[in-house]
Amino acid sequence: MIGLFLSKRKGNAVTDHLDLPQGTLDLLILKAVSLGPMHGWAISERLHDVTRATLQIPQGSLYPALHRLERRGWIRAEWGSSDNNRKAKFYELTPSGRKQLASEAKAWARLTNAVGLVLDMS
Amino acid sequence: MLNRLFSEIRFRLRALLHRDKLEQELDTELAFHLQKEAEKHMATGASPDEARRRASASFGAVQGTKDDARDARGISLLDSLVQDLRYALRGLRKRPAFTLGVVLTLGLGIGANAAMFGIVDRLFFRPPLGLKDPETAHRVFQHRLVEDRRPRIDRNFNFRRYLDLQRNTRSFESFAAFQTRTLALGEGSATHEAKVTVASASYFRFFEVRPALGRFYGPAEDSVPAGAPVVVLGYDYWKSRYGGRSDVIGRQLRIDRTTFTIVGVAPKGFVGAGDQGVPAAFIPITAYAHAVRGPRYPTVYTWTWMEMLARRKPGITQAAAEQDLTNALLGSWRETIAEQPNWGKLEDLGIRGELGPMHLARGPLAGQDSKVATSVLGVAAIVLLIACANVANLFLSRAFARRREFAMRLALGVTRGRLARQLLTESLVLALIGGAAGLVIAQWGAAALRAAFLDDAASAVIVDPRTLLFTALAVLVTALLTGIVPALQTGRGNVNLTLKGGANEGPHRSRARPLLLVFQTTLSVVLLIGAGLFVRSLSHVRNYRLGYDVAPILYASANPRGYQPTEAEQQTIAESMLETAKRIPGVQYATLTVSVPFWSNEGTGIWVPGVDSVNQKWNFLFNTGSPDYFKTMGTRILRGRAFDERDRAGTGLVLVVGERMAQVLWPGQDALGKCVKIGAENEPCAQVIGIAEEMHLRSLTSERDYSYYIPVAQHTAPPDLQVFVRVTGNPERAIEPLRRELQRLMPGPAYVNVVPLSQLIDPSLRSWKFGTTMFVAFGGLALLLAAIGLYSMIAYDVTQRTRELGVRIALGSSVSRVLRLIVSSGLRLVGAGVVLGVLVALWGAKWMEGFMFQQTARDPVIYGVVAGILLLVAVVAAVVPALRATRIDPNSALRVDG
Repeated sequence: MIGLFLSKRKGNAVTDHLDLPQGTLDLLILKAVSLGPMHGWAISERLHDVTRATLQIPQGSLYPALHRLERRGWIRAEWGSSDNNRKAKFYELTPSGRKQLASEAKAWARLTNAVGLVLDMS
Repeated sequence: MLNRLFSEIRFRLRALLHRDKLEQELDTELAFHLQKEAEKHMATGASPDEARRRASASFGAVQGTKDDARDARGISLLDSLVQDLRYALRGLRKRPAFTLGVVLTLGLGIGANAAMFGIVDRLFFRPPLGLKDPETAHRVFQHRLVEDRRPRIDRNFNFRRYLDLQRNTRSFESFAAFQTRTLALGEGSATHEAKVTVASASYFRFFEVRPALGRFYGPAEDSVPAGAPVVVLGYDYWKSRYGGRSDVIGRQLRIDRTTFTIVGVAPKGFVGAGDQGVPAAFIPITAYAHAVRGPRYPTVYTWTWMEMLARRKPGITQAAAEQDLTNALLGSWRETIAEQPNWGKLEDLGIRGELGPMHLARGPLAGQDSKVATSVLGVAAIVLLIACANVANLFLSRAFARRREFAMRLALGVTRGRLARQLLTESLVLALIGGAAGLVIAQWGAAALRAAFLDDAASAVIVDPRTLLFTALAVLVTALLTGIVPALQTGRGNVNLTLKGGANEGPHRSRARPLLLVFQTTLSVVLLIGAGLFVRSLSHVRNYRLGYDVAPILYASANPRGYQPTEAEQQTIAESMLETAKRIPGVQYATLTVSVPFWSNEGTGIWVPGVDSVNQKWNFLFNTGSPDYFKTMGTRILRGRAFDERDRAGTGLVLVVGERMAQVLWPGQDALGKCVKIGAENEPCAQVIGIAEEMHLRSLTSERDYSYYIPVAQHTAPPDLQVFVRVTGNPERAIEPLRRELQRLMPGPAYVNVVPLSQLIDPSLRSWKFGTTMFVAFGGLALLLAAIGLYSMIAYDVTQRTRELGVRIALGSSVSRVLRLIVSSGLRLVGAGVVLGVLVALWGAKWMEGFMFQQTARDPVIYGVVAGILLLVAVVAAVVPALRATRIDPNSALRVDG
């Protein structure tokens, strides 16, 4: 029963026009919100800026990813007001999200390290 | 991990429950994003319109994002479930006849099971309401050896034994003594009979209950010998007789012959040890015993009448406690024998105690009823299986009819899994509605069932959570059973072929349906054979010669209610009762009596010259009668003569013996003229003047009842105030005149009760009657279901084969050939089912044997009749659609769906 709930996803994956490896977007979002509560647009801007515009976050994938992370309990959302008093949904990291971020970041480091080693082969 | 799971569930629930709100939030969130994006573009100098366009372009399709976000929210599975539900409900509403049929079928199946479960649960599993710590609470049983060292188990004890056990055991926290009796309550014209539990004060401490009002009585009010005249009312009685008023405390209520003061009201639903009905009142056992038997009752071992409960001390094993109980019983019996040496030697009595479960049905004295109840639960389960088979069959034929629709949807991209899920949803919805209908049916039928099996018909099945849980399980099982086959079959076969072919050209015919039909027939055959066996048993029981007539006889008894007539007065009242009874119109004969069949029997020791230890070997029931005794009872005198007016006090003592008694006492000799000393060894001889057919006074099946009869005029004690009368015509009509006339003779508070003898004997027939009713009802239901299943399948086949049959007729096949073709295909299936059913019944016969009365469970007549009935039903069910088939016009048949 639980399995049914967890595994259900539609065929057309949410990441199909994304150049990022599968799951990377989640890692980036987690990292972004780990710095403090942030709304969706701010996250996309922050990622865009920090990567010096190398990474264009497909905004269509951002919100499904946010909702997925929220569902998994890694981030939580709260309605607040933005700069000029407009209602916006702010996301922030939960304790379990922090753990997830740490372990994903470590895995990412090991992966890139390993890939780097292979590419440095001579 | 668990955290994540909770988060998932919370999220999904929120997603499902607050859909609109979440949709709105999603809209707001995305709009905010677009606006920020547009502002960014405006900051670089774009016009507002241009900025908005660019923002939208960079975002992609909003609708798609919303879909994806929604997916991420995880509601699609639940959404599709809701969709399936709507779809199923719509489909069911569109086919009301189909829906109604299925719901009724399942309702009957589930209802029967729910009702029977309620009974069996009560009989076997659920501890009595409020019982404290059921693990250590027991009923006390006593094993001993009687005639021919035959083992006998008792649950009735005398008061002195109860005192002995309390004094001489160490393993028990407490004992309780109790008995439920039908007593007269109230005074004057308001006098009515009701069940009253007489119980020791310790009885209430076996339960963890608080009185609804006032208090229970305590040990001080239940002290030996006389106790105190206090009463605790039963809740229902308090409600119905006193309107639930709280000022009943302190009021007086006359019960039997004593006036009691009301001190409390038992809580709702409290029945105590709970096997003898809802008591109207509880009174101290000492008060009752003292009123009935006087102050000597705690000092004698002769009045065996009450049951016992015992509670083990914590930490004492059952085996150890039983050993302790046995030792105490042995000690108590040693005293008994010291006082009454005619019991023989203690070693020969084989005394042993047993701590049985609180449920009588699970204990060593479980009656036939409980066995029948279990078997009827089995039968109910079979009926549910048949109902499921039928419904599965209906689903299959519907699925077959809808296979073009399914193929179309598969072609449109619906997955097979989704289709199967839809079918299962449909069967679940139907099973749920069926379950609800079942509960209504159960509720309706439960009253009758409970009345048959449990005396306390108080609690309703529907409010009972255990039954509800069981029903929910039954619904789930039903849904799976009915839905699984069609679900497995969905979309089997080639989509293209199905879409291209006409609706009547199925590329594959389901093999499941004929199998289901065979299965159904098999079960119906088993049930019907069971029904036949019970019907025959019951008719054997009914026709069984008890040694006396039942139908024309009324039993009238006077309850002196505390009034204590002198012996002479009692003699006069008894005689005038007899004379008055004879004068009532319709009364043919009347007699005084001591023993009442299946009600109360007296035994007095006898001594027979030349035969040793008569009383240890056999148990003789003793009866006295007026000169018309045998004529009244319809008991035949086989040899010699009955006693009559000539046998009076002062003439030679005479007796009539039962034929079995004559055989065991004087095997191979003529009993006539033999000498029997009644009551004591030094009494004068009474001469055997006649041999009567043996009466069954205690049990229908026992061959071990022996009885003898003496003229009431020669009996030393004054006659009991009870008469049997034999009535011509409808005995019911004589009841009231008889009661009225006899009542005039009663002194003081005494009152008269008149009942048909059949009412006293019926409880002994109950298990057969009930078995018969249930098997016939369920067997009939099963037969009906099987017939409907067969008919619908053959009718369906015929429609499917319209074209083929049309071709056959066009090619010159005769009507009778077509008829034969169709009927024989139906008969083949039913035939297979019948053979299987007969085999199953033969296999189960050994198990049925225990319920039978002078009836073999392998009766070829019953098997033959059942097989014949089913084949006949098969022919009829097949002929109707077959006849329709022969009327097919070949022309139009060939064009169907062409």
